[in-house]
Amino acid sequence: MNFLRRAGVLVGAFFMVGAAHAAEPLVTADWLQENLENPKVRVFEVSVDTGVYERGHVPGSVHLDWHTELVDPTRRDIASREAFEKKLREAGVADDTHVVLYGDNNNWFAAWGAWVFNVYGIEASLLDGGRKLWEAKGLPLDTAVPEYAATDIALPERNDDLRARFTEVLDIAEGRKQASLVDIRSNDEYTGKVFAPEGVKELAVRAGHIPGAENVPWGSIVQEDGTFKPAEEIRAIYAAKGIDGSRPIVTYCRIGERSSHTWFALKRILGYDVKNYDGSWTEYGNAVGVPVVNVAGTVWTGK
Amino acid sequence: MRPPPFRFEILVGDAVAMTARNGIISVVLLAAIAIAAWLLHGQAGERDLAFSLLAGAAFGIVLQRGRFCFLCNFRDFVEHRDPRGLLSIIVALAAGVVLYHVVMMAWVPVPQPGRLPPNAHIGPVGPVLAVAAFVFGIGMAISGSCLSAHFYRLGEGSATSPFALAGAGIGFLLGFLTWNALFTLAIYASPAIWLPHHLGYTGTLVASLFLLAAIAVLVLRFSGQVTGPAESGYDPAKVPEKLFVKRWPPVVTGLLVAVISAFAFLRVAPLGVTAEVGSIVRTAGSSWGLLPDTLHGLDMLRGCATVVKQALLSPNGLFVLGLVLASFASALVAGQFQPRRPTGYDIGRGLTGGVLMGWGAMTALGCTVGVLLSGIHAGALSGWIFLVFCVLGTWSGLAAMRRFGREGTAHGKPAPAS
Repeated sequence: MNFLRRAGVLVGAFFMVGAAHAAEPLVTADWLQENLENPKVRVFEVSVDTGVYERGHVPGSVHLDWHTELVDPTRRDIASREAFEKKLREAGVADDTHVVLYGDNNNWFAAWGAWVFNVYGIEASLLDGGRKLWEAKGLPLDTAVPEYAATDIALPERNDDLRARFTEVLDIAEGRKQASLVDIRSNDEYTGKVFAPEGVKELAVRAGHIPGAENVPWGSIVQEDGTFKPAEEIRAIYAAKGIDGSRPIVTYCRIGERSSHTWFALKRILGYDVKNYDGSWTEYGNAVGVPVVNVAGTVWTGK
Repeated sequence: MRPPPFRFEILVGDAVAMTARNGIISVVLLAAIAIAAWLLHGQAGERDLAFSLLAGAAFGIVLQRGRFCFLCNFRDFVEHRDPRGLLSIIVALAAGVVLYHVVMMAWVPVPQPGRLPPNAHIGPVGPVLAVAAFVFGIGMAISGSCLSAHFYRLGEGSATSPFALAGAGIGFLLGFLTWNALFTLAIYASPAIWLPHHLGYTGTLVASLFLLAAIAVLVLRFSGQVTGPAESGYDPAKVPEKLFVKRWPPVVTGLLVAVISAFAFLRVAPLGVTAEVGSIVRTAGSSWGLLPDTLHGLDMLRGCATVVKQALLSPNGLFVLGLVLASFASALVAGQFQPRRPTGYDIGRGLTGGVLMGWGAMTALGCTVGVLLSGIHAGALSGWIFLVFCVLGTWSGLAAMRRFGREGTAHGKPAPAS
């Protein structure tokens, strides 16, 4: 039995390596462990807690700093093509490399990374369950920072089909454009009872949600161990909210990182037409003169 | 009644019973720490807590057995020309610099501008740091110990330490209250200077070791002779006494401090003893509405970070708890647990010194452990600045104490020759 399973993993690994460009959206911890030595696989850790990567990471993985390498450190934007290309070249990513991402905090920022990779034309896989599951399974961690031979990969311009900007979201909110909005924040944020979760620094001065948005908290498509639920269950959860892929979808949250996680499920696992709105509530809820639904009626008093 | 100190030559009657009882209590205590760590380690996501508890216990034992106290070591040298304590500090700094570099060079192979080793205590360098370190030094001199030593002395039953630590809590509160003013006055413009950015790793190592060697030469040049029985050969019968009763040799103590420091940095966070105290004060102060809503820039700076507490157990809290309990266990076996009723003088000097140390540690983002030790280990200029101004403050404080004729008695005894 065990032999068969191992053999299955190996066969599966063979096919996945062969199909580098149309990478499977998710890889399992077991698959990754079998492929740590595979030169065609490059693993990136996107963790936001400081020192997590340095104190032990998946052997051979490269650190991607969310605050400086996946976003533009000056303007509020994703990383520039030049900066991102430079990073990928240094990490030895070539055209036929299978990129796998994982991270702490339920893979939120790794999913952001996968979205940024996709915007720049690279379909990356997520390690299902992220860092938490890797650790829980007792799989090995390493503290050495790997060095890879640099490549000369050239990234295409951004693919704007994957990214919603403010004006487009406003068009949807005001009915000029037909699309489904998915608000993946907690129900308390969605209904306007609270402005933001406890302790976060990025705030909007209005509570509530964008008119027409459906609330499907990100956690509802995740299992106890942090892995995604089976695709059919995810499909059913969204179908129950009237989101079945028949029209374009825009996901948002507070700063755009948790919504990347839902973007990943809808776009990569279900194959729907989905954009992530990275401006999210901290842009929309601070904008002047836009329609807002605030069920709870909470008033901003500056406190 | 004060328990008689442990002596191998008087293993008769009450002493035997006392020693046996203390030994059992110590073993039970250390076993309890080990079991707690084991249980924590089994919980998902709690490995840092388990490690911190054990590291704290190890640190407590080393501090107690090695009498690793910044103030008393300094005073032993200034007033009794005994260099051993200072040598253990110098060894701890030198060995720690080397071990830290092993870790940092793996984590940040090239010290590029803008990149710092994660969590390393590389604090802002400016006039506020100098003043805070100076005030901390005065507080040390008045209270008779630095903060880390007050924690291990708590385990020895010190009459002053509880008041010094309470005073430190008040000092922290004052520090939070003056923080915003000092931040906008100067700290905002104080750069966090990491020496490897300027000297490279090699340059930092060489410069640090050279400076420490120079200090060691100076210390030895001005030290007197320490009398004690000459040691030669090896007597297995004396091993227990050397291990459990006598003060550990300075080099051994220094090396152990360095090892614990580097391992703590590698696994969880740099050593520090004030983060938890500061966090408790900040949480309480905030919930009572005593503190400003926003402490400018504080949470972005590196050092013994204080946070508004969200969880009961924190790595630093368990580190300090392990330190105190293990020091108590160690002191019991050594016959150095000697509680006595505090006098008005103990209370006064503890509180006064504690307030000064608390304000200094909050404002400098750490104390002799968090800024001086962990900073110098990490190649932070802030560690060296703290060293210089803390020594100046201590010197002034000791001079003032002598002048007013109340040189501390509780902790003022020179170390017994070993």
